[in-house]
Amino acid sequence: MITQPIRESGGHPAPEPGVVIEARGLTKRYGTTVMALDELTVSVEPGITGLIGANGAGKSTLIKILLGLLEPTEGKASVLGHDCVSDGFAIRTLTGYMPEHDCLPPDVTATEFVTHLGRMSGLPATAAKERAADSLRHVGLYEERYRQIGTYSTGMKQRVKLAQALVGDPRVLLLDEPTNGLDPAGRTAMLELIARIGSEFGISILVASHLLGEIEQICDHLVAIDAGRLLRADSIRSMTQASSVLVIEVDEGLELLQAELSTRGLKPLPYQRGLLVQIAGDVTYDTVRDAVADLGLPLSRMEQRRHRIEELFRADPAGQVAQTTGAASVR
Amino acid sequence: MSADARAATGRLAAPAAESGGVIHNIGYRRYDAARLGRAQIVRALIWHSFRAAFGIGRGGKAKVFPILLFVLMCLPAAVNAIGLALNPGSEPAVTYDSYTPQLRVVAMLIFVALEAPNLVSSDLRNHTLPLYFARPIGRLDYPAAKLVAFLLACLAMIEIPLLLLYVGTATQVHGARQVWEQTLQLGPGLLYGAAWAVLLASIGLLLASTTGKRVFAICAIGIPLFFSYILANVLAHVGEQAFGPAGFGEPSTLTSLAGLISPFTLLGGVLRWLEKPPAPGGPPVREVMQTTVGNYGQLYGAVFLILTVAAIVGLFARYRKVGVA
Repeated sequence: MITQPIRESGGHPAPEPGVVIEARGLTKRYGTTVMALDELTVSVEPGITGLIGANGAGKSTLIKILLGLLEPTEGKASVLGHDCVSDGFAIRTLTGYMPEHDCLPPDVTATEFVTHLGRMSGLPATAAKERAADSLRHVGLYEERYRQIGTYSTGMKQRVKLAQALVGDPRVLLLDEPTNGLDPAGRTAMLELIARIGSEFGISILVASHLLGEIEQICDHLVAIDAGRLLRADSIRSMTQASSVLVIEVDEGLELLQAELSTRGLKPLPYQRGLLVQIAGDVTYDTVRDAVADLGLPLSRMEQRRHRIEELFRADPAGQVAQTTGAASVR
Repeated sequence: MSADARAATGRLAAPAAESGGVIHNIGYRRYDAARLGRAQIVRALIWHSFRAAFGIGRGGKAKVFPILLFVLMCLPAAVNAIGLALNPGSEPAVTYDSYTPQLRVVAMLIFVALEAPNLVSSDLRNHTLPLYFARPIGRLDYPAAKLVAFLLACLAMIEIPLLLLYVGTATQVHGARQVWEQTLQLGPGLLYGAAWAVLLASIGLLLASTTGKRVFAICAIGIPLFFSYILANVLAHVGEQAFGPAGFGEPSTLTSLAGLISPFTLLGGVLRWLEKPPAPGGPPVREVMQTTVGNYGQLYGAVFLILTVAAIVGLFARYRKVGVA
């Protein structure tokens, strides 16, 4: 049977209001001991959302539950208002999924593969062909689309994986570690591509990654999970707001300076080859200047920069220790 | 990316597109037309897999063996037609029910061992399954589609030569009555071929789905099928030698049961069971698949059913459990 078009036609892609993904008390246990997700409650708004966590934090488990591939032990989850357990078909029609691991057959061409998976997404034959060509063009593989996937580089294979997620015209993309195995240039290209899909194509994206540094460049929101629990969920802007830090490097006497700054009421943290101090205002600069001058240390660097999110998740001097319990909502 | 950045990207992209400066940026096009339902997606998967069984859409080398085997299967029908044309009025050399038993065993053994892995093992090996399961089909739609596709492929391998045989014979015989006779004989032949297809497709796919490695899968199918066939024949002969040949009175129990070991002799046994018993004093029963069933005909029927159902259930159980990562 031909089902009704899933979404209203026409118009320029625009992010829809409302909640894209919602999880309430989501728990997934394997057996009696392994806890993959532990009472996770989070909601994700349109835009690009980073799902951050170490390996084994439960990122892939969450994505599989959202796709309806795994059933949660407890709790509820929904994508675009469709329940993940009872309405998996609708979700999988509206969602594109890029798995973490290699998932491509080497002996078919990219065009054939993406076309076939377009058919599997519910596209009629002609539409699948057209959209496969479009998707491969978007990910930058148009010239090479008639080559067998086995001859592709790792970066090109990642692009094919993205193209197959895109071919069915999803409203939501779930990308699991999309920069896996890529070199720095490949990572940058992949991140730019994801940012473009999120902004120009108007598709909401959940990007799972264990690399905060790279994912924060493209995300509007961030959801951090650890051991299946929500660590923190917020917009990038509010996470980085009022969290400027001062990087201080001296050629010698780092411990002395750290002790001195501590006595002057700052809470310096060792950071790479220097110290990190939370900026409370102009007075912070004065304090550091005076401390260095009084100790007579050779100051080689004093730089203000935006707090990188990574630092927010470390033990933080300003009392911004990430929440480890309770629920938060992306705002 | 912030809303500002988004607006900025929009501003940047628009003039470039207008001036034709950016060729590759065609903008994103939505798909707003109707989508296929689950049944149609499964049908597309069946068609895709059916073609894959004959190497279509898989490169030139993949087509060599299926086509070679298909031609081989059709040869007896062609030879029969030529023979009838050269010697009008002679008896057809090939029968519908058993066709050419030895050739059919060899050709189908190779076909199943080579092509069943192409349908299921490659998706396992390449971890492509999560991509299927992330699409709007059910978990068991996948093995169901693969089973139907391979069943159709086996049917094509077995039944098309039979139909050629029918056409070749029916055009050489004279009179509507003889054509009708041929048609009557064709029916059971097709039915028996279908039994072959069902049993081989389900066993082949189950064995192929146990491993993702193509070579292992080919061995996992080929070795048991081949050696069980040899063993069944050897045991049947041993039974004859040790306990007296079949034909004089009752065949020995060993000879009668040996055919249960191999799917091929099992099918021969089913056919022998369903055949009309020879009339007393009439012509002797034709040697079909060398399977002797004795008094155990019903057992052959039961084992055939159990084996088929078990293979299908096993295949579905395999895909209920298979990991999604």
